[in-house]
Amino acid sequence: MVQIEKSASQASGESRFLFSDNHVKSEQSVEPTLPVKKKRNLPGMPDPDAEVIALSPKTLMATNRFVCEICNKGFQRDQNLQLHRRGHNLPWKLRQRTNKEVRKRVYLCPEPACIHHDPSRALGDLTGIKKHFCRKHGEKKFKCERCSKKYAVRSDWKAHMKTCGTREYRCDCGTLFSRRDSFITHRAFCDALAQETALSQPLAITSPGGVMKLQVVAPLVAAVVSSPPPPPLTPSTGMWSPVLSIQSSELPENHIPQLPPPPGAAAPFPGAPTVTASNSSTSSGNVPGNGGVLASIFNVSTSAEHPHTAQPPVASYSTMLCTMTGPDQHVIDPMSLSLSSTLYLSSGSSSLLYPAALGHPHRHYTPTPQPALSATALLQKAAQMGATSSNSSFLHGLGLSMIPPPDPQDSRNSAIAPSHWSNTTHVKLENNSVASGLGLGLPSSNSPASFNELMMNSSSLFGNKPATLDFLGLGMGAGETSAGGFSAFLSSITDGLDMTTSNSFAGVGSTMDTWDYPSDRKPSML
Amino acid sequence: MDTLFRLVSLQSDQSLNSSRTSSSSRSSRQNPYQQEDEECFNIFMDDEDFSSSSSKHYNPYPHHQLHHHTASNTPTPTTTTTTGSATPTHHHVYDQSANQFSYSPARDVTLEFAASLSGHDSKWASDILLETAKAIADRNSARVQQLMWMLNELGSLYGDIDQKLASYFLQGLFSRMMDSGDRTYRTLISASEKNCSFDSTRKMVLKFQEVSPWTMFGHVACNGAIIEAFEGANKLHIIDISNTFCTQWPTLLEAIATRSDETPYLRITTVLVSKAGGANGGSSGVQKVMKEIGSRMEKFARLMGVPFKFNVIHHAGDLSELNLAELDIKEDETLAINCVGALHSVTTVGNRRDSLISIFRKLQPRLVTVVEEEADLDIGVDGVEFVRGFQESLRWFRVYFEALDESFPKTSNERLMLERAAGCAIVDLVACPQVDSVERRETAARWSHRLQGGGFRPVSFSEEVSDDVRALLRRYKDGWSMVQGSDSTGIFLNWKDQPVVWASAWKP
Repeated sequence: MVQIEKSASQASGESRFLFSDNHVKSEQSVEPTLPVKKKRNLPGMPDPDAEVIALSPKTLMATNRFVCEICNKGFQRDQNLQLHRRGHNLPWKLRQRTNKEVRKRVYLCPEPACIHHDPSRALGDLTGIKKHFCRKHGEKKFKCERCSKKYAVRSDWKAHMKTCGTREYRCDCGTLFSRRDSFITHRAFCDALAQETALSQPLAITSPGGVMKLQVVAPLVAAVVSSPPPPPLTPSTGMWSPVLSIQSSELPENHIPQLPPPPGAAAPFPGAPTVTASNSSTSSGNVPGNGGVLASIFNVSTSAEHPHTAQPPVASYSTMLCTMTGPDQHVIDPMSLSLSSTLYLSSGSSSLLYPAALGHPHRHYTPTPQPALSATALLQKAAQMGATSSNSSFLHGLGLSMIPPPDPQDSRNSAIAPSHWSNTTHVKLENNSVASGLGLGLPSSNSPASFNELMMNSSSLFGNKPATLDFLGLGMGAGETSAGGFSAFLSSITDGLDMTTSNSFAGVGSTMDTWDYPSDRKPSML
Repeated sequence: MDTLFRLVSLQSDQSLNSSRTSSSSRSSRQNPYQQEDEECFNIFMDDEDFSSSSSKHYNPYPHHQLHHHTASNTPTPTTTTTTGSATPTHHHVYDQSANQFSYSPARDVTLEFAASLSGHDSKWASDILLETAKAIADRNSARVQQLMWMLNELGSLYGDIDQKLASYFLQGLFSRMMDSGDRTYRTLISASEKNCSFDSTRKMVLKFQEVSPWTMFGHVACNGAIIEAFEGANKLHIIDISNTFCTQWPTLLEAIATRSDETPYLRITTVLVSKAGGANGGSSGVQKVMKEIGSRMEKFARLMGVPFKFNVIHHAGDLSELNLAELDIKEDETLAINCVGALHSVTTVGNRRDSLISIFRKLQPRLVTVVEEEADLDIGVDGVEFVRGFQESLRWFRVYFEALDESFPKTSNERLMLERAAGCAIVDLVACPQVDSVERRETAARWSHRLQGGGFRPVSFSEEVSDDVRALLRRYKDGWSMVQGSDSTGIFLNWKDQPVVWASAWKP
């Protein structure tokens, strides 16, 4: 189903397309049905049935509030204390797991001004709310001596300390920066950025009332998978379609003519039919089925075959987008496609939802041409900056895919994350185990609860290791915890992307184990 | 015949000879003396010889020159010939001119500076230049000529700091003597604008930021203060009157994009001031550059997901005459005014600075950030006032040149551009009428006084912002430090314990 939403209230000075595969049905078990149109999609979209819990600031800030009366050792959880008491031969009592389903709980932020104070925006897990409260409303007690950045959460600080000063930012133009702000300033002025957007021309979709946001929810199942799936990159993605946050202004001008009036101008139009074909060049090798035959590795040659001349990228985009949106032919500039969120999304979702995915045809898109890739590099960086300095993370993007977007923050994030959509949406019909292996230590991948966390609450996923939000793909923090694994995964993605573009994929993805935890790889940014 | 008179009478020749004038200033590397080498007595010989020698002057020269001067002033002709190793023509010229100076003062000019010239840690340029300024104030034309001649011989745009100072200040003094400050200034500006492209501007500004915190200091401080002041507001408007080509804004955009609450709408209106009646051709170059910068700002904002509108206002004339309607300030906007090196471009004549501040006050900004270079360059028109101001200029530009010298590699085009810009400023200060001057810096104390008088109260930078600034300075070479201003009015960037830049924030 494709829907377009116009929300003129978003006085954002620009319009954006947000593409999102809506896969509501399969998720309904874990995720409440959400209205397709939503203005905002912020973390915290709790199940309405969940038990809402409001904890006091003191409780939230408390560390080790369960103290052993014998040895004064403190514990964060009563259960742990009880276990400890056993050692002292004190009476102890472990809470019994109540029968069947534990009722899901969501947590409110005690800060009245905070958006998560509203029960409808409650966060999905206790750790998440604690970290949220600490980060947003707590004192930043931990300071990096090197760069004087301050953190409220110790783990944030520790993670920062690991990487502070060691990180280099590389611009597409090849210049290296050790300092973030120099990099940012340079980036704004660098020709690399200008070139990326050179093709595009602002498409004015400004309604009198301000600017509208266009939200296109693409059909869940769009295209048939053609060539072998992208290996290291995406385990499987079929269902989780990326959230593409696009600013309409980025529409390549040469496509504008083909475009029907900007979708936003129209009332929501009927869902586009499922698209059956993807980009012809890539789909040439079409492997039909959902059957998981696609064991063959992502064959970069497909992408390599794409002449990287001026025309093709655009063409493939348009194909791709046509594919996505069906008859309406929205063409989106590569740059603004939000690749990253897709990636993360797919990685996250793959293990969780893979079974569901099996039942669906998958989508295959052409690899994104070079320029977009470089945008990725930048924006991964930008995103990383954002991720560490605030709550926002690409997981917003994740959430977005389920929950139709446009929260300004989210869309910003996804806008920040550029586009290699195509790569990520290569679907892999590998077997299930591979897919879940790719889940890379996401918390308990199959449980609905964790799924919920993943989707609803970015901080719950990344909360443990916020600094491993290394969307740069630099993979520095990789491999420590689950989040680390995730980051490793991301870095592998980045690697893959690089390789894809350089057409040097050969064999990398040929065996799954080769890219299982490539945390040591340091992807090079283009 | 009086030399001064001859110098002055020259002007008429020059104005007729416009092609010469423009060619002489096609780049500042050529010395203004070129203009007069034929008309005036041939002290300065021909241009080629002059310029080639001045470039040779680099290290060993002052020493050699010293010998030469002492020698040539002795009556025996033999010494003259013995010293003629490297630059024989000069010796010849010098002798000639020395002979012509029948009315030159009895004091031996070169001996006077012998110590200064030979000393290791000497600041001979400042000594000679200051003497020259004093001689000008005393209207001792003969001495002026001698000293200027000496400066001309010693100075070089490509030499060490003293040589550079000698060269740039000599240009200023000469223009002053010739009463041609305006013209020199204009030609310098138009020459630099001819070479001005987006590329070169970007390179220069970013390179400068890379090697020196000179401008970044103000950016970090102001951005920090602005972001804090904007907290909670969702329609932001920054009136940006600065000279750093919007390099301040990407980091601000990024900070706004990652703000924890909703991303606000941001407008930046950049006001570019050019001297009234300045070269129009040049300012079109600047307009092009600003256009390109604007489009990049917009792209970047889009990338960052910040709803953004960028506007440039090119204002010719004094900033205090800015048409406020052009700023298009909306009722519901939260306003900040960012002045980086802007206030000193307002003329010191006629209370314009105070009136600009009261104009700011009327705009009801939430915050005004002011960054100024810390110097007192209100050079008086004449006499003691002039000498005092000139001396302060010498001090200031020496610090500036030294800071550049230690930051940049020896051969850096960007550094040369910055020095040339400083050369322009020197001409403005030394030779241009006070009314037209756009370079008359004032001290922080004076600005604070003005701002407080205009109804503003100082906002001290938060601990976080100060930390950011300190973190910034740690990345650069040693020598930079941050010092809290007295009475909590802003912070100073110190270079080797001399305050060089002052950043401050103000609320109505």
